[in-house]
Amino acid sequence: MLRSLRRRGLYLRLIGLIVLLAAMYIAFMTNKYYLLFITNLVFFAAIVLAWNIIGGYAGQLDLGTTGYMGVGAIVSSILSNNIGLHPLISIILGGLSSALLAGAIGFPMFRFGVREVWYALSTAAIVVILNNAVRLLIGPYEYYLRVRPIKTYDELYLATSIALVLVFLLNHAVNNSRLGYYLKAIREDELAAEAIGVDTRRYKLLALMIYAFIVGSLGYLYVVMIGYFYTYRFFDTGISVSIAILGIIGGLGSIEGCLVSAFLLRGVGEYLRTSLAHIIPGLHLLLYGAVLITLGVVEPEGIPGIARRFTTLLKTTKRPMGVVK
Amino acid sequence: MFEPTAFDLSAIGTGVVNGLVLGSLYALASLGLALIFGVLDIINFAHGDILMISSYIVYLVALSTGNPWIALLSSLALFALFGAGVYRGIIHYVLGKEPLIQIAITVGLGLILQNLALALFRAEPRALPSTLFPYPLSIGPLTLSANRVFVALVSIILCILVHYYSTRTKLGLASRAVAENREAAWLMGINVPLIYMATFTIGVLLTTTAAFLWMQIGPVDPYLGTIFGLLCWIIVALGGLGGVAGIIASGFIIGVLDSLGSIFLTPSGKYIPMYIAFILTIWFKPRGLFGRR
Amino acid sequence: MEGVATKTLAIVLAVVVVLVAIGIGLYYMTAPPAPTPTTPTTPPTTPTTPPTTPTTTTPTPPKVKEVVIGLIEPLTGKYAVFGQEARQAAELIVDIINNELGGIKSMGGAKLKLVVVDAGGSPDEARIAAEKLISENHPNIVLGAYISRMTAAVAEVTEREKTILVMDALVDDLTERGWQYVFRAAPKASMHGASAVDFVLDSAKKAGVEVKRVVILNEDSVFGTYVSNGAHMEAIKKGIEVANHISYPYDIADFSSILDTIKRSNPDFIIMVPYFSDGVLFAKQFAESGMKVKFIAGAGGCGFTDPDSIKAAGEAVLYYTNTYSFNPYRNTEWTKKVVSMFQQRYGKLPTEAGGIIFYSLFVVYEALEKAGQMFPDNPLNPDNLRQAFLSLDLNDSNSIAAQLYPSGRIKFAPNGDNLYALAVVLQVQKINGTLTPVLVWPEPQPGVSVVFPRP
Repeated sequence: MLRSLRRRGLYLRLIGLIVLLAAMYIAFMTNKYYLLFITNLVFFAAIVLAWNIIGGYAGQLDLGTTGYMGVGAIVSSILSNNIGLHPLISIILGGLSSALLAGAIGFPMFRFGVREVWYALSTAAIVVILNNAVRLLIGPYEYYLRVRPIKTYDELYLATSIALVLVFLLNHAVNNSRLGYYLKAIREDELAAEAIGVDTRRYKLLALMIYAFIVGSLGYLYVVMIGYFYTYRFFDTGISVSIAILGIIGGLGSIEGCLVSAFLLRGVGEYLRTSLAHIIPGLHLLLYGAVLITLGVVEPEGIPGIARRFTTLLKTTKRPMGVVK
Repeated sequence: MFEPTAFDLSAIGTGVVNGLVLGSLYALASLGLALIFGVLDIINFAHGDILMISSYIVYLVALSTGNPWIALLSSLALFALFGAGVYRGIIHYVLGKEPLIQIAITVGLGLILQNLALALFRAEPRALPSTLFPYPLSIGPLTLSANRVFVALVSIILCILVHYYSTRTKLGLASRAVAENREAAWLMGINVPLIYMATFTIGVLLTTTAAFLWMQIGPVDPYLGTIFGLLCWIIVALGGLGGVAGIIASGFIIGVLDSLGSIFLTPSGKYIPMYIAFILTIWFKPRGLFGRR
Repeated sequence: MEGVATKTLAIVLAVVVVLVAIGIGLYYMTAPPAPTPTTPTTPPTTPTTPPTTPTTTTPTPPKVKEVVIGLIEPLTGKYAVFGQEARQAAELIVDIINNELGGIKSMGGAKLKLVVVDAGGSPDEARIAAEKLISENHPNIVLGAYISRMTAAVAEVTEREKTILVMDALVDDLTERGWQYVFRAAPKASMHGASAVDFVLDSAKKAGVEVKRVVILNEDSVFGTYVSNGAHMEAIKKGIEVANHISYPYDIADFSSILDTIKRSNPDFIIMVPYFSDGVLFAKQFAESGMKVKFIAGAGGCGFTDPDSIKAAGEAVLYYTNTYSFNPYRNTEWTKKVVSMFQQRYGKLPTEAGGIIFYSLFVVYEALEKAGQMFPDNPLNPDNLRQAFLSLDLNDSNSIAAQLYPSGRIKFAPNGDNLYALAVVLQVQKINGTLTPVLVWPEPQPGVSVVFPRP
């Protein structure tokens, strides 16, 4: 009974998401600017949702997003362009190499009990190390790809949308699985989780590797989105931090919250940047900062907290009317 | 592209000395962060940006008055207010909250400071055209910049003063008591909120002093905070929260790694040894190399 | 459980509705009164000149009301310094062309309309900016985007749309990608490096100083690398020994160990390719290091001779030189005029970013004039415009653009690079007690001579 209800909830959400993606496409398909813009939003929404698995469910503040994305992007670009593998296979191998890297880093990290601020700092440090190391390996140049399987923005939008739907389903799968419950237990109280016999290291590592796999596979789409080239500049701590910001504002572990925060904040931010950038540079980042501080002080739960307040507000205003009737 | 320099002892010697000089400033810049983290248990990701914004204030006052000491004093006064204000307006609300919330809120503060600086001062680098000791200083076979030596000496002296503050003065001892056990300290009659605000302000003032010293040797732009932010945290991680000595030692270690990495690897890859050292420390010595907590 | 599901569904649906409403609203707000959904994909972008109209009406002066010029520059983020100045320069030049020169004469006095968009700080933002510009403003020619990876992202869009892109990014390989509709009047990165070496060798010869060993030092971005490789090659070609070639990250906080390495390499001179604030730091630290070399020559854009760098570094940058893609002291009518107008309007000397835009926009002006003459029926067709660009052969006597250009000549090779590209060298000297950048190479400006070696 409960299970079928949950199923129905999932189907409704899934249909909602697909309708949303389709509606956005229909609304914007005639204009290449809006099409690329919503592709960008959908792409970053997928990234934020992937972050939700490690940051939201497991509660590990990961600042290594661009590290995993960059590795996946460069590996899959080289595989499809220089070795001639099918792009889909390259994407999967790119994701796998990211996941492997994440495993190699995550295993000792969780084994030695690195957590909280130290986890955040280590992941940021890894991005810096990768930036330096990849620069030494491939040089500072931009490498352009000849093999270009995705040609139009319509195809790119379709591809990113499929990616978002897949990440969305994966989030649900994690959320409703044993892994999800363990991760949430770890987020709430790691020691308690360990005390009741949860193998915290194993599940955290698993979450990290799933997240790294998704972000790594999405890397190739980023390469397509900017026009088929890659550089060591992909490894950027600033962008990693902004992904985490979107995830935190979205509310930890809330799929809808992450979607809303990625769409809304990035959308408004991008609008502020394009319309006011020449007058006040950096206004959109000021906005992010202000939203973060306000949320942190007023509603640390992020968007779901606000939504809950909003709905309770609606309910309390409704009740007196019913009484009068 | 690059040729590693011949492995000779004098290169190592100079590298180490340069690293120590640099490391002392790093240590002073990290001290405020360590103090705030140790006593308030607040994870401050806006530390680098506070250093950046105070560098701008030092620069502006020094340029308009022409006197670096007035610049130092007035920015100290200004940042005492700033520190107390930020504590009361923001930090106060996230005391004892989850680390993630603290990180989020301080990242937000950092973003605001950084982009405020960009909007107000634009992105051009600013530096003081005339500094205190703009000439070389020869010590034996070494030639060092007098400015840098001055900066290093002042940093070390200030670190030692902070050590005395925390081990000998009433306020310092009280704040250490709060750091050890908040409830017990409260029961002993220590005014914990006051200690918190004072410690946060002192942390900011130390950072302002580091900013003043930095302006004697380098330029500031809105992105200075991103260089120092991560670096200071790494020094705190290495030093642990044991005390000032640990911070000085880890400042030295990072400074020397920075310097030797530049010489023997390549300056383009100089972050690699520093950050690997950091990650290994976190793995094997999670309480820092010299930490007690 | 179900309550939560329906609630979230309601939220999702609400978001859908809002987004669709916004989207439709925006679409109708931005779309022209007669919506033509196919315009972005068809090459001829100007609906004002359909091929049939000229034959039915007066054929000679083509009916072009205005030519839309798009400018994509980083107005926010780390590179905002350059983008902001490029925007100022472009606004000035468009004013001059429209008001003083009366627009494009061969197109019946058509005016230029400048549209500026922000390229942000990353290639994905730059590409969105390019699409925004193309779909909302249908520019005939685009200029931008200063940073190479952002320019590459923009070029992907302009190539697809067959829109001419005049690049102000200097990295060499941007003209080696086989793009058809790109042009670059400015000297490319490697030429900056080579010019710095040539300048030092010329000056050493004139001063009778022997220079044999060089240390090359560069900021490690793709631009810095190309510039420094240009210097490295030129040094080898001229028989100079490259004692060391060091690259460093632009956010460096200390040059001590690099200075020590340089000292051990014992060079006669240093070629340095700075980004911006690192140049200031280097100059200050070098001054305090007590080291002596015969000369320090900067290469590539800003760095040492920029007004902002001089303000920040003070006496430390005295006698430093730097290569420039623009010569603000060139003794031609239009250089003097444009520079003084820029100074009047913005209160500062134009630097690299602005200077490149000066002549790039005037090249656009000349090309449009030419297109109007060559293809009166359809001058704004991208292929016709391309032909017009390629047929330009500009010199001081026949064009304003060449008067603003360091070499005084502009002629494009098929790959879009200027065949007569030249970088000049400015030196910081003390004139009447103030530090001023002056021109010293290839020909010193009147009343000035190069100070070589460093006193």
